Amino acid sequence: MLDLGTTLVMAAVLAGTPLLLGALGEILTERSGNLNLGVEGMMFMGAIMGLMGSFMYEQAMTAAGAQTIGFFSALAALVMSFAAGAFGALIYSFLTITLRSNQNVTGLVLTIFGTGFANFLGEFAGQQAGGYLAVGAATKAAFAPLAIPFLSDIPLLGPLFFQYNWMVYFALAVAVVMAVFLFRTRFGLNLRAVGEDPAAADAAGISVSRYRYMATVIGGGICGTGGMYMSMVTTSGVWVHGCVTGYGWLAVALVIFATWSPLRGILVAAVFGGLMVVRMYVSIPGLPIQIYEMLPYVATILVLIITSVRQSKKHAMPAGTGLNYFREDRE
Amino acid sequence: MKKVIVFVLSAALACTMLLGCGTPASQSGSGGDRPGAEGTPAANLTLDNITIGFVHITDPSDMGYTYNHDLGTQEMQRTLGLSDDQIINKFNINEGGECLTAIRELIEAGCNIIFATSFGFEDYMLELAAEHPDIVFCHATGYQAADSGLANFHNYFASIYEGRYLAGIAAGLKTESNQLGYVAAFPFAEVISGYTAFYLGAKSVNPDVTMDIMYTNSWHDPTVEAQVTQALIDRGCDVISQHSDSTAPATTAEDNGVWQVGYNNDMIPAAPDASLISTRIDWGVYLTFAVSALIAGEEIPVDWCEGLSEGVVLLTPLNTAIAADGTQGAIDAAFAGIKAGTLQVFAGPLTGEGVNYDGSPAVIDIPEGEFFQESYPGSAPSWIYIIPGCNVIE
Repeated sequence: MLDLGTTLVMAAVLAGTPLLLGALGEILTERSGNLNLGVEGMMFMGAIMGLMGSFMYEQAMTAAGAQTIGFFSALAALVMSFAAGAFGALIYSFLTITLRSNQNVTGLVLTIFGTGFANFLGEFAGQQAGGYLAVGAATKAAFAPLAIPFLSDIPLLGPLFFQYNWMVYFALAVAVVMAVFLFRTRFGLNLRAVGEDPAAADAAGISVSRYRYMATVIGGGICGTGGMYMSMVTTSGVWVHGCVTGYGWLAVALVIFATWSPLRGILVAAVFGGLMVVRMYVSIPGLPIQIYEMLPYVATILVLIITSVRQSKKHAMPAGTGLNYFREDRE
Repeated sequence: MKKVIVFVLSAALACTMLLGCGTPASQSGSGGDRPGAEGTPAANLTLDNITIGFVHITDPSDMGYTYNHDLGTQEMQRTLGLSDDQIINKFNINEGGECLTAIRELIEAGCNIIFATSFGFEDYMLELAAEHPDIVFCHATGYQAADSGLANFHNYFASIYEGRYLAGIAAGLKTESNQLGYVAAFPFAEVISGYTAFYLGAKSVNPDVTMDIMYTNSWHDPTVEAQVTQALIDRGCDVISQHSDSTAPATTAEDNGVWQVGYNNDMIPAAPDASLISTRIDWGVYLTFAVSALIAGEEIPVDWCEGLSEGVVLLTPLNTAIAADGTQGAIDAAFAGIKAGTLQVFAGPLTGEGVNYDGSPAVIDIPEGEFFQESYPGSAPSWIYIIPGCNVIE
């Protein structure tokens, strides 16, 4: 048996991964100047469509009399969840960028829509399947913790770094790629310019609409894969009513906690995840559960206070975020 | 600003008028149309014109508590031959003010009898039961009916602790580490009674077994249920049981190669390699009884609680592919003992310590040969004691 510290770290990483994916999607979105509060809705859509993707792939393979291959099942889940989240974000982009509707209201509507969409579809498909919407053994195995030859067997380091499911490494890769894109490429610089000051970017010949559309839609797709983590890993490929509830909002809070930086997101997602599960591993006698459950939120408030006291421009929200850009509006 | 003040004042006036009219109207309605006394038939209520309301905390897609209770509703509908529009369900109602609104809507829709199925609904239901003596209110898992003094308010539950005891036998025979884990919702009597019975069942066949209990602080939160299950497995538990609504404990147990005992629903389809057996309540028995009694003008008991012997508490089929040898035989023997009255779940010698509703400490010491009568006279479980061998992780 592993010692307490190792199991706590592992549980923290697993709890933090869906939040990291949700937050990464929202970081990309907010960097472009769109404040999409529909993260929860997009995660819900990704959760159900990812599960449906695997389920339908399995059904098709069974109907064709072929073997279900875990890799393709996981790929189906990934593609479908990304597409679902991106579709939700596309609705949002069309409303806010093209029609210039209020960003907050549109985001909230997307949350409500996505929640209803997923729970309705999950319940409906569950009834069609005769009770549970659940995936088979091959798909479950594809989302199980990895066993990399040699690396996973190293004492201490193996469990700590090389025994997670593939989604954890996928989330880390997304964070690194996004950081490189934002801070090391010309397109990333353009995107940040659009988010900070769309009028200046427009004057420099950057298409504000195109950048905002692309960033928001891809960001939504990443949020969708975060939702898929909830339905495929957390509940192990069984649709559970309301399985994402609350996590989309935590992801939005995590964006602030991470101060809009993908790499810092990795660290704070693990901390956030750790604060969520710490009561199950470390017990302080006499401290009620309710106090433990407040910890992630207390941490967010503290970070908000610290960043606003420091008044650092580097760690602030992009100046253009939350505001629609309309060229003829310029003063 | 002036406009706003005028608007607020006129709105306040309108509300006051509505409230002023509302109260006398409902009073005269109850006095005139229906006899107020308990047990007399309500004015020409028949199977064709009765309307039945339900308030649920989630909806049947939880595949757990509400799903199971809704199966009871369907059973009642079939048995009594009711049409769909005679049953009104309010799903996904939280245990707050929303419940009050939901029950009011059911009253306005003309419901003659209303069932509320979650623990936290009781206070709201009591409030409205006092206002509407002509409507019958039944609350599952509650404990306040007997003391309320209201003739139209009833509590109902089933002796699920008997089912949990039998399910515990399957866990006790299966465990290899002799350490069970229990995902518990809240530190309430209903939950404590359930896990103590489960533990006693396991201990009856495996004297060395201990059990770790961890609370989720929610009836239904799949993520926390999965995390708590993982934490219990990390502590070394190899059979997990639950008093929580989702299948997350079952699937998490399966992922870790350990076993699980379910509640409310057969969880074998969700986790075929982990779920050993589940116990559930057949709510249809009570629902059919209460509605029939109301129509016939017979008395509905203030507290109703039946169990294994009456077929109200059931076990789902044993997963024979993974259960330990002899499990079915041991369960059948205990079942026969409970039915014959020779086996008591909370039998002495048994000691435990707990906390009363008011926060004062409670102790129990049952000597050899005696037993604790659970769910009597109140239908809700009243066992609040943590016994040696049960280890609550806080």
